[in-house]
Amino acid sequence: MSFLNAEEPTACDLIADFGINILWHPSLGLELGTNLQNMLWDCISGKIPLDILVFEGSVINAPNGTGEWNRFADRPMKDWLNDLSKVANFVVAVGDCATWGGIPAMSPNPTESEGLQFLKRTKGGFLGKDFHSLSGLPVINIPGCPAHPDWITQILVAIATGRISDISLDELHRPETFFKSFTQTGCTRNVHFAYKASTAEFGQRKGCLFYDLGCRGPMTHSSCNRILWNRVSSKTRAGMPCLGCTEPEFPFYDLKPGTVFKTQTVMGVPKELPTGVNKKDYALLTMVAKDSIPAWAEEDFFTV
Amino acid sequence: MTIKTLDISPVGRVEGDLDVRVEIDDGQVVNAWTHAELFRGFEVILRGKDPQAGLIVTPRVCGICGASHLTSAAWALDTAWGTEVPRNAILARNLGQIVETIQSIPRYFYGLFAIDLTNKKYQHSPFYEEACRRFAAFTGKSYEIGITISSKPVEIYALFGGQWPHSSYMVPGGVMCAPTLTDVTRAWSILEYFRTNWLEPVWLGCSLERYEQIKTYDDFMAWIDENPNHANSDLGFYWRMGLEIGLDKYGVGVGKFVTWGYLPHEDRYQKPTIEGRNAATIMKSGVYNSFTDTHVLMDQSFTRENTIRSWYDEGTADVHPFDRTTKPSQKNTKDFDKAYSWSSAVSHEQFGRLEAGPLARQLVAGGEHGESWQHQDGFILDAFKQMGGANIHIRQLARVHEIVKLYRQAEHCLREFKLNDPWYIKPQEKDGRGWGATEASRGALCHWVDIEGGKIKNYQIMAPSTWNIGPRDGEGCKGPIEEALVGTPIFDPTDPVEVGHVARSFDSCLVCTVHAHDAKTGEELARFRTA
Repeated sequence: MSFLNAEEPTACDLIADFGINILWHPSLGLELGTNLQNMLWDCISGKIPLDILVFEGSVINAPNGTGEWNRFADRPMKDWLNDLSKVANFVVAVGDCATWGGIPAMSPNPTESEGLQFLKRTKGGFLGKDFHSLSGLPVINIPGCPAHPDWITQILVAIATGRISDISLDELHRPETFFKSFTQTGCTRNVHFAYKASTAEFGQRKGCLFYDLGCRGPMTHSSCNRILWNRVSSKTRAGMPCLGCTEPEFPFYDLKPGTVFKTQTVMGVPKELPTGVNKKDYALLTMVAKDSIPAWAEEDFFTV
Repeated sequence: MTIKTLDISPVGRVEGDLDVRVEIDDGQVVNAWTHAELFRGFEVILRGKDPQAGLIVTPRVCGICGASHLTSAAWALDTAWGTEVPRNAILARNLGQIVETIQSIPRYFYGLFAIDLTNKKYQHSPFYEEACRRFAAFTGKSYEIGITISSKPVEIYALFGGQWPHSSYMVPGGVMCAPTLTDVTRAWSILEYFRTNWLEPVWLGCSLERYEQIKTYDDFMAWIDENPNHANSDLGFYWRMGLEIGLDKYGVGVGKFVTWGYLPHEDRYQKPTIEGRNAATIMKSGVYNSFTDTHVLMDQSFTRENTIRSWYDEGTADVHPFDRTTKPSQKNTKDFDKAYSWSSAVSHEQFGRLEAGPLARQLVAGGEHGESWQHQDGFILDAFKQMGGANIHIRQLARVHEIVKLYRQAEHCLREFKLNDPWYIKPQEKDGRGWGATEASRGALCHWVDIEGGKIKNYQIMAPSTWNIGPRDGEGCKGPIEEALVGTPIFDPTDPVEVGHVARSFDSCLVCTVHAHDAKTGEELARFRTA
């Protein structure tokens, strides 16, 4: 549903203007009257070329590796997936469930869920660590809960326009163009972050969400604050801490008691520091920042 | 006879998977079973977690109703912790719920429902060619503008919650945001854009004010005839075509309806309790019994679940959701005489099985029960009576009728924010039981939470589809969609589009596959996906 919010191109333009023929989509599929099950078998047998297999949702193996807890047409979903992944030129995993297992794979993982090529941070997943689609690329991971519609459409357009060879993937198979920079990059609270001015509780017009409210913006890779959501804002801009949903560990700490919307600290120092900063330097930085904090950084800033 | 399989796929976990099996005899459906084929285990995952885990996990239950889940999760914690919720926060939560539903209406109508009107079955209808011009998927002129514009209302959600879907900006004690005047004025401009680019010119063919004069079914039919702009608007066109092709003739269902009510009034629910909710919501709760034409208030304590025909090892008795243990069966063998679904059978302890959804909301809105200040609107109840009960067509009308009312409620929120007043009052965390509810676009939604020792002991979610797609219950009674399917006339048994219409008219949360079988031989006639 997030995908339908895409612009440049919109979901309709993607189909009408870029020549992407959607063979099937759970909500948008429309070819009532055509024999889609046969079509899928035709894809599997190679009669119909399958350019891109886009998969959403975790691969469910329960109970006991059979996948029977998620059947479609009397067949475990995972069996369809296994067959189709072998004949697709590109395989794209969209969302945390398909990339790393996501919330369903959170402890105790009652559905024995995993992602297409990862389970959390461990490479392998349903298709195995050596899997490559016919194009030679491994599974392209577009994580997020949800994935930003723009991340999906731009990758699809890159494939459709023959530019996908320009893509570089990080060690988690995420396109670096979206997932090299941090969620914090572009956040309107960066000045408060710099001076260690905290938003102590919700509903405030000042401060950074990292110090008390558990924001993961400095440790999370995404372009949320560069491209914004629904064209207008982002969670951190609106006052909601980043949950780190483009990383395999999401939901962090398995949502154990005391971990939700609260920065985890040891002796008052955040347990997890901004990526690449060591403890000693962080302590130094804190002292300097607190000494040099200007008065406005502690007053209302995002005012009416 | 060849088995026709129109749509089967391994994709599509967002909404889950629902199968519908129907038996067809002599040109009509004689028996039906709805079975959910996907177990996700959210209730199991939430056990033992942080009390607020539901705020993160449950919006992600569904890609299109995330705000509704968040609303339920937040109010459930508010009642458990005994919080105080400031006026601004109630308005900000309501606004999020409202814009999500406004988003859902054109997205559902064009994306999921109206494309069926281009089915070849209707090629002899005088409306057919125009229906194809308007409603053909991706290229129809109304489809394209309707789907594209449906992304606008949730921009308002993003202004207050950061993003749609899957924000968690509603928290016990209020909301996370503290919006500025610019957020309010931008939100207002987005509403205006939605109104002047689609709602008035394309959907209604008239002003909101003119549409709001409609109070009865006769008013509505007179409105259609009054002006070609009305008759040829998407609403006017759809209504005329639906009558011509007989969408008003089938899909009756159980004849009893439920809504939790929603949109707590900003001045009446600042100290939220389970018991105080009915007297605090702008849209009132209720059960409408069409057999006796009576309305009564709904209460969570009346809810019962039965899993005798479901794949859970939880006994045979009807239990209240607080007493559910969610123990999935290891072996989910499909047996239509025994268990055949991951959904439970939900009922009201006195009224039995109930239909949830926009039709239920609007039939309850027509009642005289509740508080005198609560919203009352008799239009759909009148249409229901004039048409002789529920059918596919009136389910659509009830749904789309709500869009103008919700538009006004959104304006109300934007007018009522007092920007310098509090948005959040930090609560004390404590153990206890809570319940939060709302109306998702597709019907009654609620969450029960039981917190013990600072963690979740039990979390139970009852979605609108839990009411509607449930299997047979302990007494063998069919679920609402199962019941609605019986009697459906089938024009072409190899392409029973009528079954699709009925299933889709409930706007179930699940991607739905229909299996049609010959009642005598058991042979499969057709199989296709609906929504």
